[in-house]
Amino acid sequence: MDFDAIVVGSGISGGWVAKELCERGLKTLMIERGPNVEHRTDYLDFAPPWEVPNRGQVPEDEKAEHYAIQSTCHAFNSASKKWWVRDSDHPYTTPPDRPYAWIRGYHLGGRSITWGRQTYRLSDYDFGANKLDGNGIDWPIRYEDLSPWYDRVERFAGISGSAEGLEQLPDGQFLPPMELNCVEQSFKEKIEASHPTRRVTVGRCAHLTEPTQEHISLGRGPCQLRSVCDRGCGYGAYFSTLSATLPAARKTGNLTVVTDAIVERLDYDHAKRRVSAVRVIDAKTRQGRSYQARVIFLCASTIGTAQILLSSRSEYFPNGLANSSDAVGRYLMDHVVGIGAKGTHPGFLDRYYYGRRPTGFYLPRYINVTEKDGVDFVRGFAFQGYSGRSTWDRARTEAGVGAELKQRLRSPGRWEMQLIGFGEMLPRAENRVTLDAKRTDQWGIPLVHLDCTHGENERRLAERANRDAAAMLAAAGFENVESNGAIRPPGQSVHEMGTARMGRDPATSVLNRYNQAHDVANLFVTDGSCMVSTGTANPSLTYMALSARAANHAADLLSSSEI
Amino acid sequence: MQVPNSDQAAKLNRRALLAGAIFLVGGGGALARFVRHTLAADAADGPLFSPEQFALLEQVSDVIIPATDTPGALDAGVPEFIRQMLTDWASRDTRAQIVAVLESVDKRAWDKFGSAFRELPGERRLEVMRAVDDDAVSREDVGYGKFKWLVLAGYYHSEVGATQELRFELVPGAWRSCLPLSEVGRASAVG
Repeated sequence: MDFDAIVVGSGISGGWVAKELCERGLKTLMIERGPNVEHRTDYLDFAPPWEVPNRGQVPEDEKAEHYAIQSTCHAFNSASKKWWVRDSDHPYTTPPDRPYAWIRGYHLGGRSITWGRQTYRLSDYDFGANKLDGNGIDWPIRYEDLSPWYDRVERFAGISGSAEGLEQLPDGQFLPPMELNCVEQSFKEKIEASHPTRRVTVGRCAHLTEPTQEHISLGRGPCQLRSVCDRGCGYGAYFSTLSATLPAARKTGNLTVVTDAIVERLDYDHAKRRVSAVRVIDAKTRQGRSYQARVIFLCASTIGTAQILLSSRSEYFPNGLANSSDAVGRYLMDHVVGIGAKGTHPGFLDRYYYGRRPTGFYLPRYINVTEKDGVDFVRGFAFQGYSGRSTWDRARTEAGVGAELKQRLRSPGRWEMQLIGFGEMLPRAENRVTLDAKRTDQWGIPLVHLDCTHGENERRLAERANRDAAAMLAAAGFENVESNGAIRPPGQSVHEMGTARMGRDPATSVLNRYNQAHDVANLFVTDGSCMVSTGTANPSLTYMALSARAANHAADLLSSSEI
Repeated sequence: MQVPNSDQAAKLNRRALLAGAIFLVGGGGALARFVRHTLAADAADGPLFSPEQFALLEQVSDVIIPATDTPGALDAGVPEFIRQMLTDWASRDTRAQIVAVLESVDKRAWDKFGSAFRELPGERRLEVMRAVDDDAVSREDVGYGKFKWLVLAGYYHSEVGATQELRFELVPGAWRSCLPLSEVGRASAVG
């Protein structure tokens, strides 16, 4: 054997698995399909606005030709451009009338560099949802199974937040919260008075407000309130693979990292019911090679992992590895986004703030939790939000030139507020990842075909979220309130999940309660593909907890020679 | 001896600026690619503005953001910035839209005062520009929106605009959530 363990992927999930396995004394190989990234030196985070290429704008022709999908992500700009794939280099297909936005980055650290850093626990409202309303299969775990692992990953990652005692949004191991600004605080007070069933709290986020000794020993420092997070953070103040799990894994001396290595397929040894080798193609030379290990973790992202499993066909798994259930690639989900509302506040003109807080506020789910009457859909939604005073760029759409304009823009503009809804999406078998029968990418790997649409429940939920968001802004004294319109295409929340779901029954699920493949004893999957339902909250913290739990379970099985 | 024209000088300045940026951050791959892209685009496209058009761009920028008790658009290098953006960022359509905005300003000057914009005294230039701006903003004219954003970003995200006219801290170091505006002073250059 070359290694004890192989981890495919270096994003949030892969980084956690590598750290835990290395700390358990296992010689671990991390395989990343994109190039190496050096923490700090590869970031543009110390460029002031006048040194940012084209003031943040990516050239229009380049954007249209090479980044048509990626540029729809809010974090795409000229200083973060290298963290996104060129769509022209990494094509995929969809039905013509059913767009899917596959937003991703191929490099060491993956999307842990560009993620939104919002970190929330799921609750038993989420883990019990499928069983309760009969959509999808039951989760094989409950909150109590994951709670100690949430504790563990929160302490290490460093999560700032405020404890609220809410059943639907369990509290965690928090560093001190960041504060709401004046207008957000006023919004909180008004909404909680008019709607006692709702709560507003500052956004829980993976930023160090008060680093612990463990954080400092990894070279991480406190958040400097710069809000240039999408470029990478030289202070290591937010959690990423590069700032946190990778240095921890490297400290053990047990980690090997290979970059520019694209996993083409996994070889299967039927006699032993094991993955026998991981086959990779060198991204630059296109030469093939393979690696062997006792246990394999796929953390290649929801769509990437499905692609690898579906490509790994054999005599025994003609539909793809670990796919006796035919669930691999199916039940693709993404949070419903594009919903919410915005408005402006006429008051607080003598108030302002200092610093650029890298989080907003959170209004946890209340529908079908604390408000159940007259709801014509299942599950629910939550809102992220923020308020701030408009800057000089308001003058693009406000008339005015000359000394008068200049004088006016010296002061901040009106307070604006946005409520950004995140709605649950139900699992449906027909929403799926398949492989294109003919077309391949430049490395000869079959292209992914994505066929995914929203259903009636998502549409009803979105209507309600739009209506509620506008009503709350109006109730809190905002003007010029506008509801958002239609749901954006799936993929746009970059919370894709579900394509290798966990479950109790091998006939209907791919993974068991420890993220181990039912069909293949030494194969684990801990990225978003393992999710059985979306929950309402941002999923990354749950991927961390599941990854840490699965890695330790695998280490236990290895030490007792069960795999 | 050959003196570089203003186009070439601007390119040299920009290269120097970018070289500075690379040094500051320790060498980013994306930036290196960006520089190569920039130089290639320069070579292919030639001058974007005639000397007359560039002079008009300078006059218009100066009217939109004049020097007052703080430096204005010309001090911040806004015309040079816009020329650079048209080379490095703008599509062919956008370039045409920006040139059309400049032409519309001159046309408005002729219609209103029977004279080229450059021949008008400061007050009348302001009057012309105000009329162009009112019209275009109320029509939500896309080309004008891009032009005005270029002037604004060129100024407020320049070092002069961000640090002398407005306020910019590269490393704020703290979050103070609710302060009297008078204590903070001016608007932040970055939202």
